[in-house]
Amino acid sequence: MADVINHVLNTMLGLNAPEWLIIFISNSIAVTLIFAIAPLQMLFMTYFERRAIARMQDRLGPNRVGPKGIFQPVADGVKMFTKEDIVPTAADKMVHLLAPCVVAAPVMFMFAVIPWGPGMYAVDLDTGLLFFFAISSVSAVGLMMAGWASYNKFALLGAMRAVAQMVSYEVPALISIAVIVMLTNSMSIVSIIEAQSGLFISQVDVAGIPDLGLGWFIFSPVGLLGFICFFIAALAEGERTPFDIPEADSEIVAGYMTEYSGMKFALFFLAQYLLNFLLCAITVITFFGGWQGPGISWLWSMAVSEANPAGNPIFNVLAGILGTFYFLAKTYFFFFVMIWIRGAFPRLRVDQLMGFGWKFVIPLTIVNIFSASLWIGWIRWELNPDLAFLSALGEPYSFARWGFAFVATLVMNVAAYTLMTRINRSPDETIDELVADQVFGAVTLR
Amino acid sequence: MNIPIERGKVVTVARGQSTSVAGFSLSKGLGVVFRHWRRAWFEKQHQNVPATASESAPNAGNDKSKPTAFVTLEDMSKSYGTFTVEYPEQRIKLPEAYRNMPVLLYDDETGHELCTSCFQCQRICPPQVIHMTQAKDPASGKPVPSVAEFIIEYDACMSCGFCAEVCPFDAIKMDHEFELSTHDHPSLTVYKRDLNRPVSYYESIAPGFWAEARERAYKKLATNMKRRPGAIGIAPHLTEKITAAQAQAAQAAAAQAPAAKAPAKKAAAPRAADTAAAPTDKEAKLAAIRARNAAQKGGSAPAAGTAADAPLPTDKEAKLAAIRARNAAKKGGSTPAAETSAEESPPTDDKAARLAAIRARNAAKKGDATPSEESDQPAAETPPANDKAARLAAIRARNAAQKATEAAEQAADSATSTPEAPASSSEEGKPLDEKAARLAEIRARNAARKKGDQE
Amino acid sequence: MKAEGTMIKTEELQINIGPQHPSTHGVFRMLVTVDGETIVDLKPVFGYLHRNHEQIAEVNTYLQNMPYTDRLDYFNSMANNQAYAMAVEKLAEIEVPERAEYIRVIMVELTRILNHASALGFLINDMGAWQTPLAFGMREREKILDLFESTSGARLMCNYFRFGGVVRDLPPDFVPRLQSLLTGLPTFIDEFERMLRENEILRIRSEGIGVLPKEVAISYSVTGPVLRGSGIPYDIRKAEPYSIYDRFDFDVPIGTVGDVYDRFLVRIEEMRQSKRILEQALKQLPDAEGGHINPKARQNIRPPVGDAYTRIESPKGELGFYLVSDGGQTPYRYKVRAPSFINLTPLSDMCRGYKVADVVVILGSIDIVMGEVDR
Repeated sequence: MADVINHVLNTMLGLNAPEWLIIFISNSIAVTLIFAIAPLQMLFMTYFERRAIARMQDRLGPNRVGPKGIFQPVADGVKMFTKEDIVPTAADKMVHLLAPCVVAAPVMFMFAVIPWGPGMYAVDLDTGLLFFFAISSVSAVGLMMAGWASYNKFALLGAMRAVAQMVSYEVPALISIAVIVMLTNSMSIVSIIEAQSGLFISQVDVAGIPDLGLGWFIFSPVGLLGFICFFIAALAEGERTPFDIPEADSEIVAGYMTEYSGMKFALFFLAQYLLNFLLCAITVITFFGGWQGPGISWLWSMAVSEANPAGNPIFNVLAGILGTFYFLAKTYFFFFVMIWIRGAFPRLRVDQLMGFGWKFVIPLTIVNIFSASLWIGWIRWELNPDLAFLSALGEPYSFARWGFAFVATLVMNVAAYTLMTRINRSPDETIDELVADQVFGAVTLR
Repeated sequence: MNIPIERGKVVTVARGQSTSVAGFSLSKGLGVVFRHWRRAWFEKQHQNVPATASESAPNAGNDKSKPTAFVTLEDMSKSYGTFTVEYPEQRIKLPEAYRNMPVLLYDDETGHELCTSCFQCQRICPPQVIHMTQAKDPASGKPVPSVAEFIIEYDACMSCGFCAEVCPFDAIKMDHEFELSTHDHPSLTVYKRDLNRPVSYYESIAPGFWAEARERAYKKLATNMKRRPGAIGIAPHLTEKITAAQAQAAQAAAAQAPAAKAPAKKAAAPRAADTAAAPTDKEAKLAAIRARNAAQKGGSAPAAGTAADAPLPTDKEAKLAAIRARNAAKKGGSTPAAETSAEESPPTDDKAARLAAIRARNAAKKGDATPSEESDQPAAETPPANDKAARLAAIRARNAAQKATEAAEQAADSATSTPEAPASSSEEGKPLDEKAARLAEIRARNAARKKGDQE
Repeated sequence: MKAEGTMIKTEELQINIGPQHPSTHGVFRMLVTVDGETIVDLKPVFGYLHRNHEQIAEVNTYLQNMPYTDRLDYFNSMANNQAYAMAVEKLAEIEVPERAEYIRVIMVELTRILNHASALGFLINDMGAWQTPLAFGMREREKILDLFESTSGARLMCNYFRFGGVVRDLPPDFVPRLQSLLTGLPTFIDEFERMLRENEILRIRSEGIGVLPKEVAISYSVTGPVLRGSGIPYDIRKAEPYSIYDRFDFDVPIGTVGDVYDRFLVRIEEMRQSKRILEQALKQLPDAEGGHINPKARQNIRPPVGDAYTRIESPKGELGFYLVSDGGQTPYRYKVRAPSFINLTPLSDMCRGYKVADVVVILGSIDIVMGEVDR
């Protein structure tokens, strides 16, 4: 952003603006955009979800407010604003008020590190991924505050479930993402995306073939298993079906949101949908190349950037539009998958959720870490004489090495998956064992 | 457990098997949902029905600006495609047998209601929401096979359809109109005026059912019409039209009938004024003139025209009319009955005016139902051109009041014996004629019972 | 379920699930004592929907009670009508023409399909599915209700049966529409099964949950799919064939374990069997003798002094009506044996030891309608 501002103000207009002004302007624009776009995302996502799930159920969904019902979320928002804000008499009023803010604020912070297109980010932190997940954990505090302050047993149960679930599923989420950090040697989200340029075949440029921006990590076995585990964890983190246990409406009414109404309720809603969006976005960024796609690198090579200060800002805009399109298309596809799953499945029970997380997903992610180490080793090791046998496969980054690593890690991951399902399943147990398993929460898969 | 089972066997349902790959069965569920999602974009399960004029007219709903398309589900084998109907614009075509709330039928041509007040429906009604009074010949006082007032409490009706089922005259039928929700709870107690539907309407919603019933219904109606004198049995809102057409004949026959008259009060009845059935001011004036003429001509002869209670638009006018009526009554001579009625009736404030309005509306309905009764109101309303007419009216009022003294006393007794409802009884129990007295008596008793029930 | 001495001392918590709760199927309250998420005790509290049904019936004439029976189990008004009509017919010794019997069977079997379709939908909804199985079930239910509407005039409160028959004959387009419904029905059932039967999440949520052993089920006099799910092939249509059920060839599905999953499967299979009955009934219908009836003939029946109990296999279980006549126009005593109510009694036994989330699933698998429970 700053590059473009600098280019426009100083190079094109010759204003000779000082650096602090450029940074100030660029950051202001970025922050404004984020705060303008984030609620819009949420509005559109609620509409998108309702329409999509309605089609799955042979319905039409909201179709009255505006063309095709597109303004339904606005109407909902107006309704939320005009609703009476009810605070239970026995509630801890201060905490009750603070809780939705504590839940919603971190979600907005998380937007700071999300790149929407090439060069389109607010900040490029060196520890972007860490920041993202660290900040997302803060909302667990807010949930607990909400449940505790409401003075309602359902709310308390919901908050306990929510916190337990978020804490448990952050572990597999982070271990899955750690694989990507290993592959890219970086925790900066921008450099993770940039590492996914090239071709999926080797994630490095292949001579003679232009950069198609398809070097996505999903195309490696390590990335695939990482993606599966991460997406499951993301579903749990975002409280989506089949892991929407904290707000299981058929059991504990609305969980920690039970005693909230009006705009406070809407804030929880906002936070949840934005979190879902961000989780889809981070899935796309880490495994599906973010804004990477065919044509981006060609446009970007002509744009203003650090490497090419003499570029044309028009190409910045073009690359930005295309990149944002790729990014949003992928993100919304994953949000659609979330809706799709919601449309199809019942939810797990809380102990089954924990069992599934700790006994199935986390072991798989740990295996995936091993796979990733081997993948990196087999592809990149070159110097150590003890590993001379690897050189028989070919040069580092060569196709032969890549192929070998692919097959080996694939076998390893599939074996791990099969093994885990075998361990966790008990297909031919007797009724008494079955009942005992259910009662003690020993069943994780059927 | 050995329970013998013939023809068929006991099958043990097979419990699910674990598939080799965990998560495979989940993908099957996703597949099903996805297929529905995909096909719901292009397919619909309901088929359109071209709406004929007769179908769209009664069911068009409140918003008539939007076109209504009727849909139906002929092909029930489809499982894919949007299933929902976009309601106000699209409606599912109601089957003939559909029943919602009961309505009364009247013949289009003669305006005669099919109901003979045989009380069958009132008796069978499980929640007991049907109430009716039988019409009486004002000349002889004998009951006539026609209904004077018919009330259905729609709010408590359970739409069971028994009333339509048992009706021997096919007079009560189940309507297809279902958009009855309202903010005005009292309006759900529906009077005959709003229950009446022409036969042609019922024929349009249930052609098959009516074809079956048509012949016997008309045969019975023809018999009953012979036993209905004057305008009795004609749907109230048609009374004007039909009696105007029959004015000459009615005048000729007028001499025999004794004069009866309505209470010395009337008022603005907003609801009555709103309904199409209410006569316009012009008509009211016309009727009044006719009545006056008839009074002048025949002395004690009643006018055939029945502009009994032309509703006045405002409270002020109501008060004015009441005062005028009182004056007329005083002028004409002060029998005790007339005096009390006159003293009670003038509305002194808005509330009283409203009360008077309600009372007048009731009286108007009564008057409509028994159109041969006519009143001195027109004379009072349109300031009399000569005192003679007013005096005549007053004399007539006095006569009627005297006639009804007995019944009135009875009513007053029953009213005073129920201290919970003194106001209503003293108002309503005013002796007007036998019928009104009876009505008042019944009402007072009901009120007393209601009070008793509450306690 | 605490292991001795190994756990932190915890405090039990009492939670009111209901009377206003999304998944109590009406106004039903469960006073649940939980230890964490585990159910220590459960006390069902009902009566919130009591509306003096039996007392009202003793004031009404026999015919006037018919629409009131609609309101018992408002999902299955046809089945309620049949049970009541049969009771009065037994009391007053009224013969039912054959065609009317066929119409009755068709209606009640359609009722069974619609009840199971929506009950399964609600069950899966209670498990946390976001409406989709329910929407599919409701879609089939709507189709059947369309048929009911075209026949009886109402979708829910059908009030269709009369003593000695039904109120009117089937409309001319009823049979073709029903046939087209029956051709589409396997698609729905198969799809429902494909979507859920093997579904890992559904199985883990329902297998081994809410187990009701045979002996316990019998001692609580549970009936209907809940009893058959526990493995007892007791179906009144077979055990004591009423109406013309002895003419049809159909199976009685039973479960093996008696858990929620078995009840789910039994209901799916019962829909298939109902479809079989309907197909046979449609085939035999044209040959049936007699018309529907003349409803006007039975307005004011005065059954002889005596009493009668009849029972039918309603979709929810054994629905019985007990009537005592003193020779007058109104029943002297009128008693309903409501299957929902009796199936609800073992609830606390079924729930103890499971988790909070299981309670709603177990309740959903019993398939109650509060209109019938509280009367």
